[in-house]
Amino acid sequence: MKRETESETLPDNTEATCNVIVDEYFTGIKGELGQAERLVNDAVNNLVVNFKYINELSKEHHDMVLAIEKMIIPTDNEAALELLSRQIKTAEKIEQELELTITSLQFGDLVTQLLVHTTRQIDTLHVTLQQLDKERSCRENPGEIQNNLSTVVSTVRTESKKKPVVQQGMHMGDIELF
Amino acid sequence: MTKTILAVDDSASIRQMVTFTLKGAGYDVIEAVDGQDGLNKANQHQVDLVLTDINMPRMDGLQLLTSLRELTSYKLIPILVLTTESDSDMKAKGRAAGATGWLVKPFNPKSLLEVISKVIK
Repeated sequence: MKRETESETLPDNTEATCNVIVDEYFTGIKGELGQAERLVNDAVNNLVVNFKYINELSKEHHDMVLAIEKMIIPTDNEAALELLSRQIKTAEKIEQELELTITSLQFGDLVTQLLVHTTRQIDTLHVTLQQLDKERSCRENPGEIQNNLSTVVSTVRTESKKKPVVQQGMHMGDIELF
Repeated sequence: MTKTILAVDDSASIRQMVTFTLKGAGYDVIEAVDGQDGLNKANQHQVDLVLTDINMPRMDGLQLLTSLRELTSYKLIPILVLTTESDSDMKAKGRAAGATGWLVKPFNPKSLLEVISKVIK
C-alpha cells in the first residue's frame, strides 16, 4: 500500500517541478527581451544626445565658415579662398550626414515594437500551454492532446501574423497621399 | 504666420527626431505621448496639421483619427499617419478613418517636409 501511495505522488511532484522549470524558462526569455529593450533604449537615448550635440557643433561650424567668408572675400587671398571652399563643402557634408542620421536613429522605435510583439507571442504561448496543462483529461486521450496542441500553434501563429514591423533595413519607408 | 504641428508618438526618440526636423524647417511643434494625450492637446490648441503614429498605448492612432474627425475644428485639418505599419488593410482603415496620407517609418527629413508642405494649408 505504501508503495502505491509513493508512486501516485511522484508524478505530481515531477509535474510540479516541470511546471516551475517551464515557468522559469518563459520568465527567463521575457527577462532577456526586456534587457534587450533596455539596452536599445539606453543606446538610442545616448545617440540622440550625441546627435543633438554634433548638430550644435555643426551649426557653430557653419556660422564660423560664413564669418570667415566675410573676412576673406575682400582680401582676395586665393589660398584662403581655397580653404574656405573646402570648409563650405565639409559643412554641407556634415549637414547631409546629420539628415541621414535622423533616419537611422529611428531604429529604436522599430526594435522596441518588434520586442513588444515577440514578448506578446511568448506570453500567449506561455498562457496557452498553462491552460493546456490544466486540462487533465487530455492526458487520457491522445487525440485531444493533438487538438489542443493544434490550438496552441494556431493561437501563436495568429499572434505572429500581427507583426507591426516588416522592415528589414533602415531605408526610408513608402509615402502615400490619399 | 508660423504653422503649428501636433506630433503624436509614444516613442520619445521618434518625437525628438520629428520635432528636430519640423522646428528646423520653421514649424511650431506640440508633442503628445499617445492618442489620448494627442486628443487632449488637439482640444487645447488649434493646430494646422496632425502627425500621428498608429500603435500606441491608451488610445491608438486610428482611434485618435476617428475622434479628431468628429470635432468640427478638425474636419478639414490634414492628418498624416507616420507608422511602422505598411499593411494595406491597415492603410485602408486609416484612409476610412480620415487620414490624409500614410508615411511608413523610418522617415527621411526632406521627404517628410515635402509631404507636409503639400498638404498643410
